[in-house]
Amino acid sequence: MHFLAISNDTLFVYYVVSNVIYLGLLIVAIVKNVRHRHRLGSQRLELVRASPFTPPITLIVPAHNEERSIVSSVGALLGLEYPSLEVIVVNDGSSDATVENLRQAYQLQTARILYIADITTAPLHAIYRSPLDPRLFVLDKEAAGCKADAINAGINAASSPYICVVDADSILEKESLIRIMAGVFADPGRVMAVGGIVRVLNGSRVVNNQIEEVRLPKSPIEVMQVIEYLRAFLVGREGWAGFNMLPIISGAFGVFQRDLVMQVGGFRTHAVGEDLDLVIRMHRRLQEQGRSYHIDFIPDPTCWTEVPTDLKSLARQRARWHKGLIDTLWPNRDMLFRARYGRVGWLVLPYMWIFEFFAPVIEVVGYSTIVLALITGVLSKSFFLQFLLFGYAFATLISIGSVLLEEMTFRRYSNWREVARLLIYCFFEHFPYRQLTMIWRLQGIWQYLRGDLQWGQMKRVGISTNPAA
Amino acid sequence: MESIFNGIGKFGPAGLVLQAILVSLLGIFLLVGFIVLRRWYRGRYFRRRNERTVALRAQWDEILSGKISAEDWRFNPLDCDIVESILLDSIEMSPADKLSPLLNCLRVSGLLDMRIYQARTSRGWKQRTALLTLGRTRAMEAIPALVEGLDSRLRETRIAAVRGLGRTARMEAAIPILDRIVIGQFDAPERSLKNALVNCCRTCPEILVTYIEHTHGPVRVLLARVLGELASPELGEELLVLAADPLPEVRASAARALGNTNTSYTLPALHSLASDAEWFVRLRAVVALGQIENLGKINILLRALCDANRHVRQRAAWALAQMEPHIEQILEDVVATKDDYALQALVSELERSGAIEKFVGGLDGSDHQSAQTALMEVVAEARKRVELTGKAMAAAAAGAH
Repeated sequence: MHFLAISNDTLFVYYVVSNVIYLGLLIVAIVKNVRHRHRLGSQRLELVRASPFTPPITLIVPAHNEERSIVSSVGALLGLEYPSLEVIVVNDGSSDATVENLRQAYQLQTARILYIADITTAPLHAIYRSPLDPRLFVLDKEAAGCKADAINAGINAASSPYICVVDADSILEKESLIRIMAGVFADPGRVMAVGGIVRVLNGSRVVNNQIEEVRLPKSPIEVMQVIEYLRAFLVGREGWAGFNMLPIISGAFGVFQRDLVMQVGGFRTHAVGEDLDLVIRMHRRLQEQGRSYHIDFIPDPTCWTEVPTDLKSLARQRARWHKGLIDTLWPNRDMLFRARYGRVGWLVLPYMWIFEFFAPVIEVVGYSTIVLALITGVLSKSFFLQFLLFGYAFATLISIGSVLLEEMTFRRYSNWREVARLLIYCFFEHFPYRQLTMIWRLQGIWQYLRGDLQWGQMKRVGISTNPAA
Repeated sequence: MESIFNGIGKFGPAGLVLQAILVSLLGIFLLVGFIVLRRWYRGRYFRRRNERTVALRAQWDEILSGKISAEDWRFNPLDCDIVESILLDSIEMSPADKLSPLLNCLRVSGLLDMRIYQARTSRGWKQRTALLTLGRTRAMEAIPALVEGLDSRLRETRIAAVRGLGRTARMEAAIPILDRIVIGQFDAPERSLKNALVNCCRTCPEILVTYIEHTHGPVRVLLARVLGELASPELGEELLVLAADPLPEVRASAARALGNTNTSYTLPALHSLASDAEWFVRLRAVVALGQIENLGKINILLRALCDANRHVRQRAAWALAQMEPHIEQILEDVVATKDDYALQALVSELERSGAIEKFVGGLDGSDHQSAQTALMEVVAEARKRVELTGKAMAAAAAGAH
């Protein structure tokens, strides 16, 4: 009985604190967003485009078995509006026709360009260049079984002071690079990395490698992910960046200072969540050096990406994300509560341990003890219902808050029906979708403890054959 | 021990949790209501705006000439906003000689005075918007109000003033910025300052030289960087003084500027800068050499091709690869240097530009078959050696890692 009471109290406090933190992030995100929109009003993108002081940037596209989407993705990347651009596709030992498709589409030729592996990677087979577009290079390397190794090869070959890592199955909006670099231009000396928003591509109409019409996907599982992405990026990342404590820049779209990435040894090979891992190591390095820095999130540069369409793929992806979380938190546990790591060690990492890593464990234990307490009479039935309703209503409020942020800023979903659907699905995000993701995350913990660090396959529809296209 | 749940539960239906539920539900209701209302309002606003834009466009010539009095649209906020944005867009797109009627309309209608007033008396984003709008007008009388913005204690406002002054693209707007930079206590992002100065000093880069002479350290570097973008042959020997500056960043900018000039002193100055102690100065000099038309640059570029820095080698190779009519001689000279890295850089660049196929094809048809075969063997051999060295370096790096 005593245990049940303590357990219930703990869960109550845990739940209230986690939601209050998220509410705080939502408020900060709204303020930051409004300020960003005002600031955008004073920046004309065509001036940035024409400015001789706009620094060059290298896009690194790691590709493993991307034969269905690689050609259209590269086409879209080469069509981005940025004055000085280099695109490096790194084929990470694909067993399909990824390189062959690129070779045919861009008439790739072998280029015997000297490549020095400042960051150690699996050996390169060849470097190709395209006579059709001299900005395109393709590195064909042996498979290392991880995305990080491919990105590192791209970093070695990159010739720009800034690198931008983009997933091969993603589409960047035409102005996204200029917009994301606006974050760097604000204070180039301090801004070390900037993340952009990743949105769900499923359901949208794609023409000539660009989003022609933004539509919500049809299946509920995909719409749930739309809301999840909006909440994670527009509330979570925007909020953390507002406090200058952003712990992650999505591997699908982010800009980094190349020198700093080289200093920290590039992306950690075989890290399951290489994007989170890199940003935490960047924080570590910069805090150790006592530098004044900023790792920012900008909400308007958009990267559209395919999300899993079936439960099996989604389960695998979420388990992997959770493995990635543990895989980063554990090696960096020495940063916890250490003065030299400042706010990262005192706030972000403890938050990630308690409210991200332990969340599924605490929730499962909590649900079980609450039910047990209800059965044994430790908890009154009316209060049990009240608590459940409160938890549900509060969490739904945050989800609707993220839709509000989307509405206030970019309004990508333009018709009433789509917005109504988004709002309706907000009411299902915390029951039953949240409980499903909790199970998948528990699976991730179990797999990690068993030593299973595989990425797993995700069933893809492919951009060019998107059903809505 | 009593549970928190039961403690709160004692409050009964009016308990904290119940209140929290109600607050949350109210929050949900308000958010959904706000989203719906906002959508409805914006939809209505943009519909009206479109209608009014079409109507005002149809009367544009009359509005511009004053046949339709400003009073007819000036006091309707929506109409006023539309007319102002059309005017500003037109000003941005118009050449200097076509500005007069547009500026006249801004003045006569009082729009310019309104923005000047806002820039001086408003605060926050309203003031910043006014500053940027004033910049877009490119009107002389906007400059004093913009200059006042430079002295704001708020950084965002100072940035807006810098951007506004930059947009006027007038030399008179550069002077207040330069005066404040020279003092060294002006806090604004370097990029905004550089862009503003490039816009304002485009017609008169000489002014920068005067200021560079009186500055030191980072400010001198910043001004030199701007000058590097704007330099013209008229700058003459002043660039030579900068090319001998003690600050390497200034020398690099001088090299960049020299690339835009092609006078008798350009080549000797770039020759000297291409042997600078700092690699980025040499790099800038090599890039500048690539821009000028002078056969004398070949020897300098050949030396740069053997540079210790790979970026310098690559740019030198790029510049040499552009000189197609002389490529056979250049390649022979590079082979004669016995520098494998130089040869590799050049061959890579020829491959990158597609010139290698043309070159080899040309050799096949000529009378010097044995010489060509030998040359290509040398290239292949050098490439092999460089690749082996590269692998050895990578292995060493892996070991160190």
